Amino acid sequence: MARWIPGGSTSTGRRWASWTSAGALAAVVALGAAGLLATVAGLVDLVGAGDDTAVLLVVGGLLGVGAGLLRAGSRPAERIRDADVLVATVGALVGVIVLVAGLLLATGAAPVTASGLVDALADATAAGTTTAIGVLHPALDDHGGRFLLAGAQWLGGLGALMVGVAILPFFGAGREFADRSRRGGRRPMTPDQATAVRNILAIHGSVSVLTWVAYAVAGAAPFDALLLAMATASTGGRSVGAQLDTSALQWVAIGGMGVAGTSLVVLWRLVHGRARNLLRSDELQIYVGLVVVGTLLFLLWTDGGGADGLRGAAFTVTSALTTTGFPSAPGGTWAPAAPVLVLGLASIGPMVGSAGGGFQILRHRILAQSAVREMLRQLHPRSLTLVRLGGRVADEDTLSKVVVTQFLFVSVLFATALVVAVGGLDLATALGAAVHAISTAGPVRTLDGAVVDPATWPDGVRLALLPAMVIGRLSVYPAFVAVGAGVTVVRDRARIRRRWRSLRRGRPTGRSGGRS
Amino acid sequence: MERWRSIRRRIPTIPLPERGVAGRGVWAGTTRHVSGLALLFVAAGMLLSGLVELGAGDEGPAVLLAAAITTVVAVALWWPTRPGALDHTAVFTAVGATWVFASVLGALPYLLAGTFAVPGRPWAVVLADALFESVSGFSATGSTVFGAHNPIEAQGTGVLLYRQLTQWAGGMGIVVLVVMVLPALRSSGLGLIDAESPGVGIDRLAPRIKTTAAWFWLVYLTLTLVVGVGLLVAGMGPFDALAHALTTASTGGFSTKDASIGHWDSAAVEGVLVVAMLLGGASFALHSSALRARRFRYWHDREFRAYVVLLGLSAAVITVLLAGDGMGVGHALRSAAFNVVSLGTSTGYGNATGTGSPGDFTAWASGPQMVLLLLLVFGGCTGSTSGGVKVMRLRVGMAHAYRTLRALRKPRALLPIRLGPSLLSESIVERIAGFMVVYGLLVVGGTVIVAALGADLVTAFSGVISALGNMGPALGEAGPTSSFADAYPTPARVVLTVLMLVGRLEIFPMLLMLVAPYRRVRTASGHALAAVQDRLVRSD
Repeated sequence: MARWIPGGSTSTGRRWASWTSAGALAAVVALGAAGLLATVAGLVDLVGAGDDTAVLLVVGGLLGVGAGLLRAGSRPAERIRDADVLVATVGALVGVIVLVAGLLLATGAAPVTASGLVDALADATAAGTTTAIGVLHPALDDHGGRFLLAGAQWLGGLGALMVGVAILPFFGAGREFADRSRRGGRRPMTPDQATAVRNILAIHGSVSVLTWVAYAVAGAAPFDALLLAMATASTGGRSVGAQLDTSALQWVAIGGMGVAGTSLVVLWRLVHGRARNLLRSDELQIYVGLVVVGTLLFLLWTDGGGADGLRGAAFTVTSALTTTGFPSAPGGTWAPAAPVLVLGLASIGPMVGSAGGGFQILRHRILAQSAVREMLRQLHPRSLTLVRLGGRVADEDTLSKVVVTQFLFVSVLFATALVVAVGGLDLATALGAAVHAISTAGPVRTLDGAVVDPATWPDGVRLALLPAMVIGRLSVYPAFVAVGAGVTVVRDRARIRRRWRSLRRGRPTGRSGGRS
Repeated sequence: MERWRSIRRRIPTIPLPERGVAGRGVWAGTTRHVSGLALLFVAAGMLLSGLVELGAGDEGPAVLLAAAITTVVAVALWWPTRPGALDHTAVFTAVGATWVFASVLGALPYLLAGTFAVPGRPWAVVLADALFESVSGFSATGSTVFGAHNPIEAQGTGVLLYRQLTQWAGGMGIVVLVVMVLPALRSSGLGLIDAESPGVGIDRLAPRIKTTAAWFWLVYLTLTLVVGVGLLVAGMGPFDALAHALTTASTGGFSTKDASIGHWDSAAVEGVLVVAMLLGGASFALHSSALRARRFRYWHDREFRAYVVLLGLSAAVITVLLAGDGMGVGHALRSAAFNVVSLGTSTGYGNATGTGSPGDFTAWASGPQMVLLLLLVFGGCTGSTSGGVKVMRLRVGMAHAYRTLRALRKPRALLPIRLGPSLLSESIVERIAGFMVVYGLLVVGGTVIVAALGADLVTAFSGVISALGNMGPALGEAGPTSSFADAYPTPARVVLTVLMLVGRLEIFPMLLMLVAPYRRVRTASGHALAAVQDRLVRSD
């Protein structure tokens, strides 16, 4: 069970409890990531106007020092419980979001007012969760600010990969989603956590660099190409001022989004020359099939035609399915089914183990198989019907967790839609915003395909979308575990239960009050 | 004990014919036997309506002709067959086939009376509309294709009564009726009732299945009569009171007026209906307990408590939101309470007096509409006549989710799911989880198809949820003052017709009715292939 032992001094003093260690770990990751992002953004800012260089470098340095000190002073537990690792994951993401929001305020990208605070928090969350629903538009010469948002997206994409490939299969649900088999002399991608993290960094980094080069070759300026590559590889979708205004750039974006929506395990096998086996992957087949069928249906339901129409349809469909969310013009009259298709694709999402959001294809497949199994059970109640994933029998625990994830996914979706509808959005926009938020997709569109500017929404509505974005980015499950664990810890620490009992029994509160 | 014995004695028993089993197996015979018997009840409803029509002198004998045709088909199915022991496949096939037969033949009165034969309409559209209205009736959905082009109030008394009767018969279940009069089903009858009844299994109200079925109908009849009297006292005319009692007890929602309950614009009528709809959406086992043993255990039942709290909370939230939007508090409370209970119990009456009036919820702000959309999903209690997912399933779903999350912190703990004082078996939890998965997939798939056929996002999404939950009205273009004929293109209405039928039988029976023969074919072809292979190997 002991799988995660964070570094730090263990020579003196008592070791921390599991949840304290998890909290420290989250803080170290958040401070380190935000510090690194601020430092690099500060250096990048030198290329542009250079207004924010000093602020970014100083804050980045302070955050880095804070992370280092905390790591050096921590006395982590021998073993951190699975649930606490998930709590740490959530804590790290939330920490990065808060720190990036602080950086946006510090650099003046958002004014230090109540409304500016909401803008900064909403944009930091959108960037950190790779959701293309943002309102801040840094000036073109504000390289630091632009890089900050693009970098937050890239980190968000990396975080999603870590959660999907290196954390959930080891600590929560989905052992089947990991690639650990050495059968036939294979070299698995995730034999253990450390290797998984290393391989994720290598593949995500390589995909990002290759996309950068491709954008540059297609005609984008180097800095714009970098921002576009970060938005594409992370499925973030906010190009922060860089434009996808030529057909060459759009084709590169289509390819880049397609790769970003592909499972890292598939890319790993491709790199290691095992492409032949890839054709057997049901999930990959469905993914490609969805892109092709979705493009054809989109062409059918909009009045686009010719090469431009095909490109536009492929761009919109790939952008929705991979939950990247690059905006595109409607390009014609949309039939009523076109926005439903886009919403449906965004909620389906790309492959499990990719940077994309949504419920993801493999989970949908598991759900479909569970549904068929349940129907067969109705006919033959005593039969033993197994669900297979990639030739292996799926664990009952995994199936149960996927079903629960679906229940929670839908619950969060409806709850978010309800809150934003009460906040003033019309019904179609409220449903669209909720689907895009929990799928970490975007942008929200009207029924005729026009992109809605979230700046026109009330602050309360934008704030209401943030929890859904975070929950969606964390594949739903860890967020609820974190909330449950947080409530338990707070309740235990504050001894609410004991005080409550004491009050009910009419005894004085205190350490000895609860026991007799 | 003596009471239910006397009731049992009063139930007529239909003698079985001496003929052998027709068809290729017992299951085929049983399916036809049950379907034929159910159609006899449908024909009886048509006959009654036809006689009323003749008495009122409204139209020609169209409904009587439909009754005659249905009787002939019913006898042709029932007479040469006899039921046997039922396996799971046969249960689903029998129930599914019964509902398909009833729905198809139930469209005859509309077709023969020319109800939807508006000049200029193709026959396929007329056929689709008749079938839609028939399925909407039997499934107690309440969606209608009557509208400004073809008003309800222009129809004859017989057709109107028949329309209400379809909902009354479908609300409790026509197979339950069959089980009540069929002596030879024995324990298989429980499977039939279970497959037809909403919810997760049925409460056995008496040791004998036949008596259980009789008790369900007795409670149902009592509720109908009480509601009828209540409406009469509240100011409705006798025919309208009877007609609305039939569709309130069944939580169906058909009305004899184009403006539905808004026609009366009466707080008293709405008040009676709110209480009646609440009772219709509650478990009939609770009503039975109250009726038989004078034990009013409603508030002890956790599902009922959750159901009432949910509706009360929704009504309160909507009242606040409507009042915040400028509607007077009185109007807001009345509109909110009526529409929340109407949609929350899957009845589907509307109290809008016209487009844009306080009761027209499609004219409300999006917040209250979203609450109504959620209620379209929830539905009433298990063991009631209401549709939707049901409060109990949602409670189990939440408990299952909570347990799964908790298990991560306590990996070795045994965490059973409780439902009141008793533990819920894992098989039921899995069944409910499976139901929710299939429900979700049907909603998503249905929305895409209906939208592809021309409905906008909100109309398609809410229409599919409404059809699958047998609710009645939907949002968007299909509100309480709208006709489904105007809101959805004809192919989309056909899809909704199928979904209403699937939803009424709580998804599995109708789907399995389609799957079971396929599996038989597959097994047979598998055996044939194996035999061929075996022969080839031997010849080698």
